[in-house]
Amino acid sequence: MKDFEIKDLKFSKKPISIPVDYRPMYKISQIVMILSITCIGNKSSLLKLHLLSWALKDYKNKDEVLELIKNNYDTDIAVWGIEPALNRALLFCVSENICTIESGKYLLTKKGEEFFKLIIKADVFKEEFDFLKFIGKKKITDNRIKSISNKWSLFNVKN
Amino acid sequence: MLKINKIKFEVNTDSGLFGSNYEFSSGLNIIRADNTSGKSSLFQAISYCLGFEEIIGGRNEKTMQSVFRDQVEYPKDSFHKVVQSFVYLEIENSNNDIITIKRSVVSNSDRKPQLVDVYFGKLIDNTEEILPESKPMYIHDKGGATDEIYGFHLFLENFLGWNLPNVLTNSGDSKKLYIQQIASSFMIEQKSGWSDFFATMPHFGLANKEARAIEFLLKLDVTENKKRKQQITFNKRIIEDKWSTLNNQFIRLAEKGGGKIVGLEQKPAIINDYRGINILLTKDEEEYSISNYIDLQVEELRLTENKDVFSVGQNISNDENQLDKLNNFINNLSLNFDLISTELNFDKDRLRSYKSQLDLLNDDLRKNKGALKVKNLGAEFNLKTSNETCPTCNQDIKDSLLPLEVEQVPMRLEDNIDFIDAQIKMVTVYIEGQEKTISEKEKKLDLYRVRLSEARTNVRQIKKELVSDERLPSIIEIENRLNLKKRIEFYNKFLEDFNHLVEELKELSEQWKKVVIDESKLPKNFFSINDDEKLIFLEKQFKTLLKEFNYASQQSEFIHISRENYLPVISKPFGEETKDYSIRFDSSGSDFIRCIWAYTVSLLDTSIEFDGNHPRLIMMDEPKQQDAAIGNFHAFLKRISEHVESQILIFASFENSDEAFNTATRGVDFNLIYIQDKLIVPIETN
Repeated sequence: MKDFEIKDLKFSKKPISIPVDYRPMYKISQIVMILSITCIGNKSSLLKLHLLSWALKDYKNKDEVLELIKNNYDTDIAVWGIEPALNRALLFCVSENICTIESGKYLLTKKGEEFFKLIIKADVFKEEFDFLKFIGKKKITDNRIKSISNKWSLFNVKN
Repeated sequence: MLKINKIKFEVNTDSGLFGSNYEFSSGLNIIRADNTSGKSSLFQAISYCLGFEEIIGGRNEKTMQSVFRDQVEYPKDSFHKVVQSFVYLEIENSNNDIITIKRSVVSNSDRKPQLVDVYFGKLIDNTEEILPESKPMYIHDKGGATDEIYGFHLFLENFLGWNLPNVLTNSGDSKKLYIQQIASSFMIEQKSGWSDFFATMPHFGLANKEARAIEFLLKLDVTENKKRKQQITFNKRIIEDKWSTLNNQFIRLAEKGGGKIVGLEQKPAIINDYRGINILLTKDEEEYSISNYIDLQVEELRLTENKDVFSVGQNISNDENQLDKLNNFINNLSLNFDLISTELNFDKDRLRSYKSQLDLLNDDLRKNKGALKVKNLGAEFNLKTSNETCPTCNQDIKDSLLPLEVEQVPMRLEDNIDFIDAQIKMVTVYIEGQEKTISEKEKKLDLYRVRLSEARTNVRQIKKELVSDERLPSIIEIENRLNLKKRIEFYNKFLEDFNHLVEELKELSEQWKKVVIDESKLPKNFFSINDDEKLIFLEKQFKTLLKEFNYASQQSEFIHISRENYLPVISKPFGEETKDYSIRFDSSGSDFIRCIWAYTVSLLDTSIEFDGNHPRLIMMDEPKQQDAAIGNFHAFLKRISEHVESQILIFASFENSDEAFNTATRGVDFNLIYIQDKLIVPIETN
């Protein structure tokens, strides 16, 4: 019996797999792509960044956003997610001087534009590119997003 | 056999015709000439005419000395410019066919040095009015070795009665062994020919060229065996393919008849008893072979035919019984059917979820790979984030956007990619398994559906009969008989098809047996018994000769002929095993020259003893290299002079001394060709 006595137990933490959305470089690339491809003057509100980042998360979200655009914003959209990870990535972006905050909106800097060229050179994220290019600079404006969110809060938020 | 009969030079200079004529006999010929008098030029001219100049290192006229190309010096310090030069070479084969080869070195017309004229007869000293027929042929040009009409080397190969084997190139193709490569085994040139065995063999991208040349010279079966092995492997693959097709045919046939195939091997096999192979058909939960099944049906038909057809009235109780049974059967089956249907829906659902999981994983993988690429590029861009540190506070962020409170260590991006890859593989396996289960269940459902509909038809018929006029003959009975007849017909045809396939299988199995037997006949290491004898003889001969020539560097018991490349090696114990060392590095300089003497002669001896392909010609330029003692050289000359049936051409300067010449050739039978003055001398023209 004595042979089997356990003298001490050790637990070692093994690295875990995390979703790619928690990878800083992926998220930063996403921000740079959204600002470069879909925003007039490479400038966007936080809400729009969250909407598009949410759309890029999976096929279902993407389809929902596409549906919304196709039906001229008539369909009710279930609220899109607000991701803390995106906020953190935005903080990194600002700190890395990839974008700056200008009157409450995020603006891509010169360095950010260079970074966008780097992504193009790397020839990755084709699907993200396709989707964002379809959205373009004119289909989802900040005003539009404001009105959607207003409409949503009108119906769903008390007071 | 290749015998050099005569050579003739014709060099036209600006001050007249120069040239000379030499004749060689069988047995030992010693071409004695002082250094610089043109001894090597003569050697080179012979190889040049045969198109073997690559063993001198080069192609075409470049390999010929200046006396044929630029200027003739005669007498000393008097120079004559060459305007045209030709070499003629008369050779003979074992059928005593004689041809004369004419090749130009310098031509004032457009004649290229790649062109040779082959005269089908004697040309040198030919006093007859009519010259023999001739044909122009090409050397070295693409197709020179394989083109049937104009390729000189192909012609030469046929002339020598050779059939050069195809060998593997380094790139894995099969290519014919070049005749020039064989040449380096019996023509040893002065400058580099003595540095190694076959030192001057041109490469031509062939793998193990020395070994292939020796296999050819000694007619070793190993080449043939290796080729046979390739052929057998190829045949085996064909049979395997056919077998698998046939297997599928069997399975399809079995499905057609609603049975299952038993006793059939998946891979080709030698089958002695074909009775084990059959298609099992089910009747009343029992399994029967085709012929038994047919017998059963025939018996049933006979029984029913013997009975009168019942009228409906007579059949009522029977019908009711039957109806009960059928209803039971239908109930059972319906239950199973529903059960499996539910399972199937569940399975399909799961498959869908696996598939969407796979889509997500693939998307994840794509994104991760992209992130990694950008991260690597970002390091060039000097981003702190891509170095996994916080751009504000320089803390380690572990490459994640998780809040710092989460005390988990994420995988590195690269590991994460591997992780997703592994997951994709796993899910793919799940999907494959699930798809298989689903298709199996669908098949089962189909079968149930068919059985159910059959049973229901029967029920309908029985019910119809039960309500029809009692005096009418029973439709069920009649139908039953018709069905039986049809079934018997079908299964008779089925049996025929089956037997047909079995015949095919028999044939294939026979072929397989043959191939397997052929394969078993191949010696394990591809050496036949004859090969072994030849190599043992070669080894023995080589050692004997070494001793005669006074080789002293290594003890005889350590010297072996390698079974890899058939060259001599030193095998010495090294710990537990023996290790092979190159005899070249483990012998002194002059001893290695003795090795080349001995090996070259042993190849000839072995080829003569076992009727190999050796051309029975040895040409050596200045074999007395490296201060080999004159006494040993004498032993060597004495030894090769015994080869009166073959032809040996030894080009030597004998240290430019009569004394050395006399010592070396004392008591040796030979034909002397003495170039006393110069190789190329003025010719008096009339």
